[in-house]
Amino acid sequence: MIALVPLFPLAAAAILLSTGRRWRGASAGWLASFAVAASFAVALAELSSLLSKAAPARHVITTLYRWVAVGGFSVDISFRADPLSSVMTLVVSGVGLLIFVYAIGYMRGDPRFPRFFAHMSLFVFFMLVLVTAENFLLLYVGWEGVGLCSYLLIGFWFERPSAAAAAKKAFVVTRIGDTAFLLGILLIWAKVHSLDFEVVFHQAPALAGGTVTAIALLLLGGAVGKSAQLPLSTWLPDAMEGPTPVSALIHAATMVTAGVYLVVRAHAIYAATSAGTEAVALVGLITALYGGLSAIAQDDIKRALAYSTMSQIGFMFFGAGIGAPSLAIFLLVTHAIYKALLFMGAGSVIHGLHDEQDMMKMGGMRRAMPLTGVLWIAGAWAISGIPPFAGFFSKDEIISAASLSGHTVMWGFALVGAVLTAVYAWRATFMTFFGETRVEREPHESPAVMTGPMTLLAIGALLAGLLGLKATGGVLVRFLQPVVGLPPQAGQGLSESGLTVISTVLALVGFVVAWFVYGSGRFDWVALRVRLAGLKRAGMSAFYLDDVYATVIGGPAKLAAAFTAFAIDLRIIDGIVTWMARGVGMAAVYGRRVQSGLVRTYALVFLVGVVGVLWYVAVKI
Amino acid sequence: MIPAATLPHPPLVFGPLSPELVLVGAGLLVMLIDALRPGNTGRFLASLTFAGIVAAGIAAALLWNWHGPTLVLGGMIAADRYSVFFRLVILVVAAIAVVLSQHYLERSGEYRGEYYALLLFATAGMTLITASADLIMVFLALEILSLSLYLMTGFSFRRLASAEAAMKYFLLGAFSSAFFLFGLALAYGATGTTNLAGIATRLLFTLAPTQPRGVLLPSPALALVAAAFLGIGFAFKVSVVPFHMWTPDAYQGAPTPVTAFMSAGTKVAAFAAFLRVYTVAFGPLTNDWRPILVVLAALTMVVGSVLAIAQRDVKRMLAYSSVAHAGFILTAVAAGTAEGVRDAMFYLAVYAVTIVAAFGIVMLVSVRGERNLSLDDYRGLARRSPFLGGGLAVLLLSMAGIPPTSGFVAKVAVFSAAVRAGFWPLVLVAVLASVVAAFFYLRLIVVMYMREPEVAAAPAGETVLTRLAVGLPVAATVLLGVLPGVLFDVLAHPSVLPLGGFGFGL
Amino acid sequence: MPQLVLFWILAPISIVAAFGMVLARNAVHSALFLIVTFFSLAVAFLALGSPFLFVVQIIVYAGAIMVLFLFVIMLLGVDREESMRERIAGQRWMALLLGLGLLAEVTAAVRLGIGIRTRAAGDFNVLVNHGDNVRALAGVLFNGYFLPFEVTSVLLIVAAVGVILHARRRHGDGGPLDRADAPPGEPLPLEEPGGSTPVDPESAGVSGAAGPVGAAR
Repeated sequence: MIALVPLFPLAAAAILLSTGRRWRGASAGWLASFAVAASFAVALAELSSLLSKAAPARHVITTLYRWVAVGGFSVDISFRADPLSSVMTLVVSGVGLLIFVYAIGYMRGDPRFPRFFAHMSLFVFFMLVLVTAENFLLLYVGWEGVGLCSYLLIGFWFERPSAAAAAKKAFVVTRIGDTAFLLGILLIWAKVHSLDFEVVFHQAPALAGGTVTAIALLLLGGAVGKSAQLPLSTWLPDAMEGPTPVSALIHAATMVTAGVYLVVRAHAIYAATSAGTEAVALVGLITALYGGLSAIAQDDIKRALAYSTMSQIGFMFFGAGIGAPSLAIFLLVTHAIYKALLFMGAGSVIHGLHDEQDMMKMGGMRRAMPLTGVLWIAGAWAISGIPPFAGFFSKDEIISAASLSGHTVMWGFALVGAVLTAVYAWRATFMTFFGETRVEREPHESPAVMTGPMTLLAIGALLAGLLGLKATGGVLVRFLQPVVGLPPQAGQGLSESGLTVISTVLALVGFVVAWFVYGSGRFDWVALRVRLAGLKRAGMSAFYLDDVYATVIGGPAKLAAAFTAFAIDLRIIDGIVTWMARGVGMAAVYGRRVQSGLVRTYALVFLVGVVGVLWYVAVKI
Repeated sequence: MIPAATLPHPPLVFGPLSPELVLVGAGLLVMLIDALRPGNTGRFLASLTFAGIVAAGIAAALLWNWHGPTLVLGGMIAADRYSVFFRLVILVVAAIAVVLSQHYLERSGEYRGEYYALLLFATAGMTLITASADLIMVFLALEILSLSLYLMTGFSFRRLASAEAAMKYFLLGAFSSAFFLFGLALAYGATGTTNLAGIATRLLFTLAPTQPRGVLLPSPALALVAAAFLGIGFAFKVSVVPFHMWTPDAYQGAPTPVTAFMSAGTKVAAFAAFLRVYTVAFGPLTNDWRPILVVLAALTMVVGSVLAIAQRDVKRMLAYSSVAHAGFILTAVAAGTAEGVRDAMFYLAVYAVTIVAAFGIVMLVSVRGERNLSLDDYRGLARRSPFLGGGLAVLLLSMAGIPPTSGFVAKVAVFSAAVRAGFWPLVLVAVLASVVAAFFYLRLIVVMYMREPEVAAAPAGETVLTRLAVGLPVAATVLLGVLPGVLFDVLAHPSVLPLGGFGFGL
Repeated sequence: MPQLVLFWILAPISIVAAFGMVLARNAVHSALFLIVTFFSLAVAFLALGSPFLFVVQIIVYAGAIMVLFLFVIMLLGVDREESMRERIAGQRWMALLLGLGLLAEVTAAVRLGIGIRTRAAGDFNVLVNHGDNVRALAGVLFNGYFLPFEVTSVLLIVAAVGVILHARRRHGDGGPLDRADAPPGEPLPLEEPGGSTPVDPESAGVSGAAGPVGAAR
C-alpha cells in the first residue's frame, strides 16, 4: 500500500506535463491538489494499519520488482512503511496539500500555471519516494529528483536574472553535497554489499570504526547540502527567488528537511560512531546560531524566514546529533506546520502588497490584513517556543535533551539560539504587522483559497504540540521508538521542569526585547537606522538608548551576522566555487588552444599518449 | 602437384556470419539499383536499406540460440551471445540512422545512392568486429567501418567543414591504424598466433617455464607491448584522451545523421572489440594492463567533461561529452572483471540509443543542413516544440546520469564494478567528472526551458518516422531507467561474456 | 650468414630511403625514395626464403601502386613543393623528441621483453616452406585465413565506392551551390552565415569558428 502513496502525484505530473496547455483556469491546480489529497488519504490508511499492529511489528516492506541486478549488485524498488516513513509521508502530503490549495490562489493568472503544478506534483512524487524508499539507491533517486525539481522551481520565473542565478547556485552547491552522498552510498555498497536499509543498519555496528565514521560523514555531507547547513548553506536564502508556495513547500517544510530525515533514518550508522554524531550536533548547533543571527539582520521578509529555516533545521540536526532523533522528527513535523504557515503569511502579505518583500516598506499590516495578521502571529508564537504552541514542545525538548544527555556547553549555546529565535520571529512580526504603516500601495486581504489553508495550519501549529505532551509520554516519540529508540531521559543535569522553565523564560525575554525595540512604539527604530548612518559618519554618539540598541542588540547581531556571512558565505564557499569554476574555465580555454584544428597538432598529442603508454609498459617490463 | 580441390579448408559454417552477409548483400543491391536507376529519389533505397538492417537483425537474433560450433571459419568468427548482443545494439542504431539520414539528405539535397551502400558497409564492419575472434578479422572489420565512415563524414561535399572533418578523421585514423597493425605484428611475434583465444592459451602456457618450440618464443612481456599498441588503436576509435583529438572536429563537421550513426555505432563496435581482445587474448595479463586503462579512463572523463563546458556549439558539446562517456565505459573495462564487462555492455547499449537520438533531435532542430547549432538556437525549444525539447531533456538527463533514467543505472553499475575491483580513486574522479558534466547538460536544459525563444516557430519538418526514430529511444531511456532488469536479465546469462574470456566457453 | 650480410646492407638502405621519402620536398622524389624502400624490403623477403612475396612486392607495390602514385602526382602538378615551414613554435622539436622517445621505448620494451637472441633463427625453408613457398602461402591464405581474404573484398568495394563518389562529384554535380534538384524555396546556404570554415589549412579548424568560452553560464 505504501507504494501507492507516491503514485498519485506522479500521475498528476505526467498528465499536466503532457497536456498542460489544455487545463484552463485553476483546473490544473485542483487536479494536482486532488492527487496530493489522495496520497494523504493513503498515507492515513497506512498509518491506521500500522497502528493496528503491535509496536515491534510496525514495519512493512513492499517490493515492487528487482530494479538493478548485475553481478553481485542488486537493488529493488521497494518501499518501507514504518513509523518514521509514515510520519514523513503524512507531513509531506498533508502540508503539501494545504500549500497546493494555497498556491491555486497565489499563482492565479500566471501564464505557466499548469507547468507550475506539474513541477510541484513531480516534486511531491520524488519527496514521497525519498521518505518511503527502503534502500539507499532509491532514496538517492528521490534525493536527486527533489533537487532537480527544486532547481526548476527556484528558476520558475526565469525572466528574472536573479532567479536563474539562484537556481544555478542552488544546483551547484547542493550538487557538492550530493557527490559526498553518492560516494557514501558506494562506500556502503563496497563494505556491506547491500544497500537495503534492513541489511545495512543491521551490519553497521559490526563495521570497522573508521569505515562507519567515513560513511557517516559522507552521508552528513549530503544532508548538509540538501538541508542548507553550514558550510553549504548559501543557496537557501537565494532560493527565495522562487514563488512563495515553492519556498513554503520545498525550502521550508519538506525538501530541506530531507537531510534530517537521512540522518535520522541512518540512525543505526550514526549510533555506531561518536565522531559522526558529534559532527552532526556541532554542524546543527553552529548553523542554528548562525541562521538565527542572520535572520535578525534581514529586511526581506522571505530571506528572514529562509535564515530562520536554516536555524530551525540546525536545531533538528542538533537533536539528531545528541541522541534524540525522535525529537528531531518532532521538531521537523511542527516546523513544517508553522514554517509553512509563516511562509504562507509572508506570501499573503507579498501578494497583498503587489510583490513587495521589503519589511521596511510594510508595517501596520494587521489593520489591512487582519486575518493574515492573526494567523501569522500564531506562527510566530509557535516558532518562538512560547507555550502553548507547538514550537514550545518540540524545540524545548531538544534543548532539554542536550542538558539531559550531558552536553552542557552545547545546551548553553542552544539556549542562546532559542533567544535569537524569539527575537527574529517577533521582530518580523512587529515590523510587518504593527507600528505605523510604511506601505506605498494599498494592501488587500488575500482570498479564502489562501487564508483557508493558513487557518488549518494555524490550528495545526496550536495542536501539534500535543503530539509531544509529556503527560501522555509523548505520542510521537513513543510511536517512533521502534525505529530510532528513545531520547535521553532525565538523570543528568537539571530537572526537566527546571529546563522547561529556563527556556520558556528565555523565549519570553526574546519576545520582550523584540517588542521593546520594534513593537512598543517607544523606540523610533526606523529613524534610528537613518540616524545611525549619519552618526557613524559624524563619529559621535548623541543618544544613549540608540547606542544601547546599536551596541547591545543591533550591533553585535548585525556585525556577527555580517561577519559570518562574509567569512563563511563569500570567502570560503563562494570562493571555492568561484575558484573551481575559474579553474575549469581556464582549463577549458587552454584545452581549446590545443584543439587548434591542425591535424599535426592532433597527431602530436596522439604521440604523447603513445609515448606515455609505452613508457609505462617499458618500465613495467 | 596436389590438385587445388584437395587443399584442406575449414568447415564452411557461414551461419554465424549471416547478419554480415545480409548487410553486405543489401549494400551491393543498393549499389546495383542506384546504378541501374540513376534518377531514384532515395526513398526506395532508404527503405531497402532499412529492410536489410531489419533482416540482419532477425538473422542476428536467431543466432542467440546458436547450437553449432562456437568458433567457426578457421577460428575467425566467434558464435557467442556477446556478439549477438552488440550486433543488435548496432543494428538498432543503424536503423535509426537510416531514418534520420533519409530525412536529412532529402532536405539538404545532398542525396547520393552511395550513401546507403556506405551505411550498410559501415554497419557490416561494425557488426563483424563484434564477432571477430582473430586479430586479423578485428583489423579488417575496423578498416571497413572506418573507411566507410571517412567517406560518410565527408559526404556533404558542398560544405568545406565536412570535407575537412573527413580529411582529419582519415589522416589520424590511418595514423592509429599503423599503431594497431604494429601491435598486431607484435602480438603475432610474441605468441605465434593471431587468434584471440590462441594468444591467451599460449600466454598461459608460457607463464610456466617450458622449452621454446619452433621458431617463435612466446613472450608475455612482448605481448604486453602488443596489447598497448592494440589498445591505442581502439582508444583512438572510442575517443579516449589523448587519442580523442579528431572527435570534436569530425563530429561537428560530419552531416548530423552521420554524426549520430558514428557516435553510437563506432563506440559500441570498437568497445566490443576492445573488451573482447583485452579480456580474451590478454586476459592473462589483466593485472598488467589495468593501470594503463585506469589512468586513461580518469584522464578521459576529466578532459571530456571540462572541455565540454567551453563549447557553444551543440554538436561539439555532445562530441566532448562522448569523449567523457568513453572514460566512464573505460572505468568498467579497467575493472577487468566479468562484472565490469557486463556493466560496460549495459552502458554501451544505453549510451548508444541515447546519443543517436540526441543527435537525431539536433538534426531535427537544424531543420535543414547544418543550421541552428549554437546554444542560443535552443532558447525556449521546449516551448516551441515540447516534443523535441522534452525528448532532448530526457536524453540529456540520462547522459548526465540523473535518475530515473537509464544513464543513472548505467553509471551506478559501472561505478559499482570499479568499486568492487578496488579502484576507489578512479571512482572518485568519475563521480567528480559526472558532477562537472551535469553542469553542461543541465545548461542546455535550462536554455531550452528557461530562456525566451527568439523565434516562436517550432522547427519544421518532423515526420512520423523521425518522431518515431527519436521518440522510441527517449521512451527506452526512461523505460530502462525504471526497468533496467529487462536488459540486466539478458546480460546475467553467463554465455553473454565474450567467448574464451573469464573461463567461459572453449 | 649471407642472410645477415644482406640484412645489414638492406636495412640501412630502406631506413635512409624511408627518411628521404618523408623529408623530400618534391613529391616525385618522395615516390622514388619509396620505391627504393619497397625494393630493399622485397630483397629482404627473398633472403628470408619467401620468393613469392618478393615477386609480389615488386610487381604490386614497386610496380603498380607506385605508378598510380606517380600518376596522381603528375595530375596534381609536379612542381608544387610543400611548404615545410612550421608555424607553431616548438612543434617540430617536440615531434622529433617524441618520435625518438617512442623508438627508444619500443626498442627497450622489445629487448627487455624477449631478451637478446644469441642463437640464429630457424631456417624458414625447413620450418615453413613445406613443398615450396607458393604452396605454403596458399595453404595459409586459403585455409586458415580464407575468411580475412574474402572480407578484404568488402574493404576494396568500400574503397571503390569512395573513388566513385569523388570521381562523380567532379563531373555530374556541378558547382557547390547550384544543384538543380535542390528543393526550392529556402535559400541554399546550409550553414549559418559566417559559420563556414576557411580553406587555408593554417587557419583551418572547425574549432576556430566556435564561440567564446561559455563556462560562466
